Amino acid sequence: MHKYRRTIIWLGLVLIIVLIVLSIYGAFIGAEGAEQFFNQPPLVVYWTALATLLIVGIAAFRRLLHMPGLLMIHVGCVLILAGGMWGSRGGHYFQKKLFGIDKIRKGRMAIYEGRSENHVLPDGSQEQKELPFSLKLKDFRLEYYKPAYLLIQTRQGQRWKVPAEAGKEFPLGNDAGTIKIVKSYENLKIGIEEGKSAPFDDPSPGSNPALEVQVTEPGGQISTQYVFERFPGHSHNQDKFSLSYHRVISDYISELQIIEDDKVVAAKDVEVNHPLRFGGYHFYQSSYDDKAGQYTVLQVVSDTGLYVVYAGYWMLCIGAIWHMWLRHIFSKFKVKST
Amino acid sequence: MEIKYTIQGLLVYLTIAAYLLAFVTTVLRRPKIGHAIYLLGFAIAVCAIGYRWYHVRHVPLQNLFEVFLCLGMIYPVSLFCRRVLRVGGYSADMLIGAIVLFPAGFVFNAEPQQLPPALQSWLFSPHVAVYMFSYIFMAKASFQAICQLAGKNPKPGENLLPPEQATYSIVCVGFPLLTLGLILGSYWGKQAWGDYWGWDPKELWSLASWLVFLGYFHFRYMFGKKHPRINSLWVIAGMAAIIITLLWVNLSRLFPGLHSYAS
Repeated sequence: MHKYRRTIIWLGLVLIIVLIVLSIYGAFIGAEGAEQFFNQPPLVVYWTALATLLIVGIAAFRRLLHMPGLLMIHVGCVLILAGGMWGSRGGHYFQKKLFGIDKIRKGRMAIYEGRSENHVLPDGSQEQKELPFSLKLKDFRLEYYKPAYLLIQTRQGQRWKVPAEAGKEFPLGNDAGTIKIVKSYENLKIGIEEGKSAPFDDPSPGSNPALEVQVTEPGGQISTQYVFERFPGHSHNQDKFSLSYHRVISDYISELQIIEDDKVVAAKDVEVNHPLRFGGYHFYQSSYDDKAGQYTVLQVVSDTGLYVVYAGYWMLCIGAIWHMWLRHIFSKFKVKST
Repeated sequence: MEIKYTIQGLLVYLTIAAYLLAFVTTVLRRPKIGHAIYLLGFAIAVCAIGYRWYHVRHVPLQNLFEVFLCLGMIYPVSLFCRRVLRVGGYSADMLIGAIVLFPAGFVFNAEPQQLPPALQSWLFSPHVAVYMFSYIFMAKASFQAICQLAGKNPKPGENLLPPEQATYSIVCVGFPLLTLGLILGSYWGKQAWGDYWGWDPKELWSLASWLVFLGYFHFRYMFGKKHPRINSLWVIAGMAAIIITLLWVNLSRLFPGLHSYAS
């Protein structure tokens, strides 16, 4: 191997080892610390050196031109680094300075049901910025796995997990009696009817999921209990078991519309794994009003550099599969056919 | 450590027993019977996965119990390595299968869980499945690397590759899968969390394992088979990084992150 090619490979190996060490270090300092660490100026120098070495390597090793798989792997790595750097904090800063492109890199926006919003609070900033279009939240809703369940635990450590379906009755053995689920509430409130307190499902905004449960003791005494999802409830010394109500969220859905010049130009239900893409930004379901479900919080992310990274991913994958699998399979077929 | 008195537990224990019996039979020079028992163990492992799938109503790759259950289906990889790559270690695979299933049988919680919204994606199965396959290949490669370090060569007449060459051949099969797993995970991260790279501890460990194998390829390109021991050490280091990625980051509370739900 020629001396300068050997030097390039040696340098490449050193940079790979350095990145292994840095990655392991980054894993110990948590995601936030690692993000800051890998965006520091010395690391920017490292990323630039790695990308430069890859380009120099591609130019120096002419043999790569005859090995398309290996070439694609290396070009793919260059594209991933280039796209990553272009979309990074530093990349956005340079784009603003050099080309006047002032894009929000990453931020959050809260939108109330029925209202439009175009203000985004960028990460690490106190000053809101505006998007060139607005988003209107038609509705926000949570969906749950069905059925929800009631967890019954005795003082002796026995547990039953029973589906919370109204009308169902569950025997808990000779010592504990039976439990019947009478009714489930989305927003339980207590009102007064004929001088007595009476529970009812309040349709106004708010959320207080609960179950009405009838406990029949082995002696035949019947008592009614309310089990709340959000409150543990009171337990008394004489209670034979404790009850808790659980619902598992299956989806968070924000029904959104994009408004540009007072016209609806796009609409999408944003869910986890199903972001909205519009105007160079991606909008993700991030958080919500967990008390009354009146607003949603979206994460807003710029797509700068993203498609360069994706192109790099494709090249890296196809290159690796071609170089390590397919070319051997094809050459075997060739040998067999000749 | 707990014994699972369930049908699921019984299937896991039967698979472990079959793999161990296959190993002992093969070591006692009854390879045909050993192979038959190994195949039977694999059939039970498939039943265990099928039963779990039916029970939880989603692809059983959500938590460590399910992942290790899948890793226990080592037989096809073992057969592929033997027949196609001409790589030995067939009896060791039986033992690896039993060892991998041990935590599924006695350590990890098998309580069925519903998929959180982040895992409800078409990328869930390919991302995890591709990683599982690559891990099995890399485990086999590191076994060959250990054989190389121990100076164990295949017997003359066995028509198998020497350990150094065998290690390289298996890593060449596993590396594209490792790459695909990393990239699918990155793409999924973008869809679910908004970032194709979140600097999460698990992501960084998986990058470190990928880089170790990348280093192995560069080192081997430079020196070929001149330093076989160092070549083997690269692969063993890569496997160590994989084990940390798979287990430590999920189990340890030292590194909470986006992947903590898998613990």
